[in-house]
Amino acid sequence: MGPVQVLVVGFDHAAFSGEILAEFTRLRQAGIVRLLDLLLVARAGDGAVETLAMPAGADAGLGGLAAALLGQPEGKEQTGADTAGDSVWSLADAVPPGSVAAVALIEHLWAGPLTAAIQKAGGAPLEETWLAPDDLAVLEALMNQRIEEELR
Amino acid sequence: MLLVPKQLRRSGMTGDVPYYGGRFTPAQAYAASHPSHPHPQPAAAPAAAPEADPLPALQQLLDTGVITAEEYQDLRARVNR
Repeated sequence: MGPVQVLVVGFDHAAFSGEILAEFTRLRQAGIVRLLDLLLVARAGDGAVETLAMPAGADAGLGGLAAALLGQPEGKEQTGADTAGDSVWSLADAVPPGSVAAVALIEHLWAGPLTAAIQKAGGAPLEETWLAPDDLAVLEALMNQRIEEELR
Repeated sequence: MLLVPKQLRRSGMTGDVPYYGGRFTPAQAYAASHPSHPHPQPAAAPAAAPEADPLPALQQLLDTGVITAEEYQDLRARVNR
């Protein structure tokens, strides 16, 4: 499968717009990304994380995959891969106490062949990040400038 | 339902990006141990050099489509303050 991104988005309240799910449907139909699962969580003031029911109209089965992947049974020691020395994260780091968040598992279908090609060529990832909005604006201005120069 | 978050390893889209635990990356360590020669200082500008008029430059940005008419008006208003 292609690389899977975990997107955690905070909301002021538990209401969840169907517009976001509609956009995921469009992207899936275009073969760009696939929404593997969607989980709504609330974090109480004492830090406890609780899963929320999906809003009416959404697939009732949503959330199970993400909960199993990102959570563990209460009182159980963490099992799985040894994370010592690695950069790690958890939902507790991402969701502030007293807030609500949607957690999406998104498979980037388009990136599978690219990643395979990079690995086949022996490429090793050194850095990978997203541009900040300010830098994105600079990039857009530079691109517009280049287009203007080419049109002259 | 209560969910106890567990720790997961971070990874990049193209694979595991090396994690140096907040220490220098090899590239940073190399740069720190190989300081570049100091750049020559630019010649000091004449003390009484007249300030360049920004309006023609703004106009050019508008004409070449880099900024919109609205941005042009906003920037022009700032220049005139």
